[in-house]
Amino acid sequence: MFQPKRMSRILIAGSKDQMDTIVRELYHQHAFHIEDFVEKEDEAYEGFKIGMPLDQASDASSELIKIRSLENTFGISPDSVDATKTQASTELKAGVDRTLAALVEDAEDLTAQRSKVEAQVKTLEARVTALEPFAPVPLDMDLYHGYENVTVFAGYVESDVEIPVPHEKHFVPGGKGVQNFIVVFVPASEAEAADRALLEAHFQSVPIPDGSGPVKDLIYDAKGKISQLNEQIEKIERTLEEKKNEYGEVLVAYDEYFTAVVEQAEAPLRFATTDDAFVAEGWVPSEKVEGIIASLTHVTAGKVYVTELEVGDDAKDVPVEYNNPRFSHPTELLIDVYARPRYDEFDPTLLVSIVFPIFFGLILGDIGYGLVLLALSFGLRRYFKGEAGTQLLDTLRNSSIMSCIFGVLFSECFGFSLPWQAIIFSRHLNIGANTVHHPMVAELLIISVWIGILHITLGRLLHVWNIRHAMHQSPKATKEVLEQFGWLFTMWGIIIAVWSLFPIPLMLDLTGFAPVAMGLNTAGIFGAVLVLLGIVLIGQESPLELMEVPTIVSHVLSYTRLVAVGLSSVAIAMVTNYIALDLIIGPQLESLTIVGVVIVLIGLVVLLLGHVLNTALGLLGGGLNSIRLHYVEFFTKFYNGGGKKYVPFGMRRKFTEE
Amino acid sequence: MADPVMTLEMIEASQMGLKAVGAGLAVGLAGVGTGLGELGIGAAAVGATAENKDMFGLALLFTVIPETVVIFGLVVALLLLF
Repeated sequence: MFQPKRMSRILIAGSKDQMDTIVRELYHQHAFHIEDFVEKEDEAYEGFKIGMPLDQASDASSELIKIRSLENTFGISPDSVDATKTQASTELKAGVDRTLAALVEDAEDLTAQRSKVEAQVKTLEARVTALEPFAPVPLDMDLYHGYENVTVFAGYVESDVEIPVPHEKHFVPGGKGVQNFIVVFVPASEAEAADRALLEAHFQSVPIPDGSGPVKDLIYDAKGKISQLNEQIEKIERTLEEKKNEYGEVLVAYDEYFTAVVEQAEAPLRFATTDDAFVAEGWVPSEKVEGIIASLTHVTAGKVYVTELEVGDDAKDVPVEYNNPRFSHPTELLIDVYARPRYDEFDPTLLVSIVFPIFFGLILGDIGYGLVLLALSFGLRRYFKGEAGTQLLDTLRNSSIMSCIFGVLFSECFGFSLPWQAIIFSRHLNIGANTVHHPMVAELLIISVWIGILHITLGRLLHVWNIRHAMHQSPKATKEVLEQFGWLFTMWGIIIAVWSLFPIPLMLDLTGFAPVAMGLNTAGIFGAVLVLLGIVLIGQESPLELMEVPTIVSHVLSYTRLVAVGLSSVAIAMVTNYIALDLIIGPQLESLTIVGVVIVLIGLVVLLLGHVLNTALGLLGGGLNSIRLHYVEFFTKFYNGGGKKYVPFGMRRKFTEE
Repeated sequence: MADPVMTLEMIEASQMGLKAVGAGLAVGLAGVGTGLGELGIGAAAVGATAENKDMFGLALLFTVIPETVVIFGLVVALLLLF
């Protein structure tokens, strides 16, 4: 809690004939974060080279490519499949040739068929498009072909054309979005003159399609064939779907199996090797070190050398694995989006997992919307299968529960008031006739400023903790700690000075002291001195930092968004209710007519749309603003991040077992 | 023509109106300011995220920084109205 898992650096050395066994065991343990070996000109590494992949690597990779392409054909991925039962690796391996070869052949056959039929459909569609302009012309298709002394022009023109030579002409005026179509037959000897006349009307020739008989029949035939072919495509797709359902699970199991084989076979690429031996370095959670050493010794019958190395000074090399209670797991996503904590840094996940939903609830604070979002967070689980999706939905669930709780406290449900007065400060605005409470905007704003002050103070204190607990103490550590106190003094100094000048509800009133100088009383002087002291402490670390002093005010006031955004969502809800119920539906209900029923229905649509929109806005407003308060106002006080992710060698098996 | 006479109600009503106008200006102008600020940042942030997905968190962070301005406007408007 509050710090990542402790890690130990271990080194494994053995002879090359043990490499296979050791790799398999490490893969099975799923705890060893391999530190890639980089060839370097160092005496200690003389004679070491990057290892070669194990024998089975290339075969397994080519199988894997086949499997992935099949998955592509069927449109499945391991993430989208739920494992109903796991398959034994030995059985998979035994059946690989039979099952996969047949499946590959089937799938290739079907997709080839499908693309052939699709090509036919394309050709026919092109023919229909070519024939369609000729349909309104009262001529059979064979009349367009087979002349020696007659030239046929067919195409689009801007307007009807006078042809100055003997001719037969069919002009089809176009309509909206359709160009005028013209067909002209002239003696071949006069073709040039006709061509010139047509060009003046911006004639665009179209190719004359083959075929004989009425054009409409030809189009009808082609369309009939298209629908037949489409049925064929559907049939093929149904077959593919059946195959997908039948073999999908086997396929993802094979994917997992071969991925594991490939990863194991390629592990030596990350080791340092000589002709006869190899060395692997990496990180293991400290609690697992003994178990790993024991199991490696066991599988190799003692023919391996494993030792724990000193952890260096630089925390950047150490991979970071969260160490949080289950409750906080979903929030790790939000921290990862910002940056993973460094190894020697305070891990704020637990804090965020508690405070984020509270902020969200403060902003949304409505039972109705809370329940809608709660239902959403459970309903969407079917569609979001990946780990990130589940984490997001869990966070949403916690947040919506908090907004229900605040809904009870604020007495709000879809902008209506519940049958009791607001238990804490009321957020009901004076909109519509039904308002019974009055908004306590000033009090709410002051509460939000209090939250800001405390949150920021906590952030600064955490920075002090970070400086004290860094693995490598900076020579300027004391100065840095003093700087943090400088920031705190400045902030609290300003607050005390404000208290001494104005009486503010819900805050200390220090205006009662005797005035001393320049309109400041004793408390005011104390505040001013605190500010000055703070500025000096900040300046001694770095004078440039003084530019940031105004952010003290803006960051604290930024927390007023907790109330401001919340009130805006209350206002939207209440205005929606007012427009829909009081202005549209209400007057109709007094004397209901048939038109009235329609208007009432329109009112219900307005009500629904307004609340759907407000739910979306509430989700965005609540989520984005509360995470923003963490990222911008809270994290910037103490958090660096940039830790390397702990990626243990191995795989969490979902579909297969060894 | 009779001289226009201002009753107390009229003065109160016009004060209310001016308050509402002020509140509207506070939110509106602050919104425009925030929009201008987020305009460039947002475009750059989307570009950066397209190049490298890991930038998303940081990009989001930069994009929401000017948002404080509109919140200040909203707070001022709320204080004016209530």
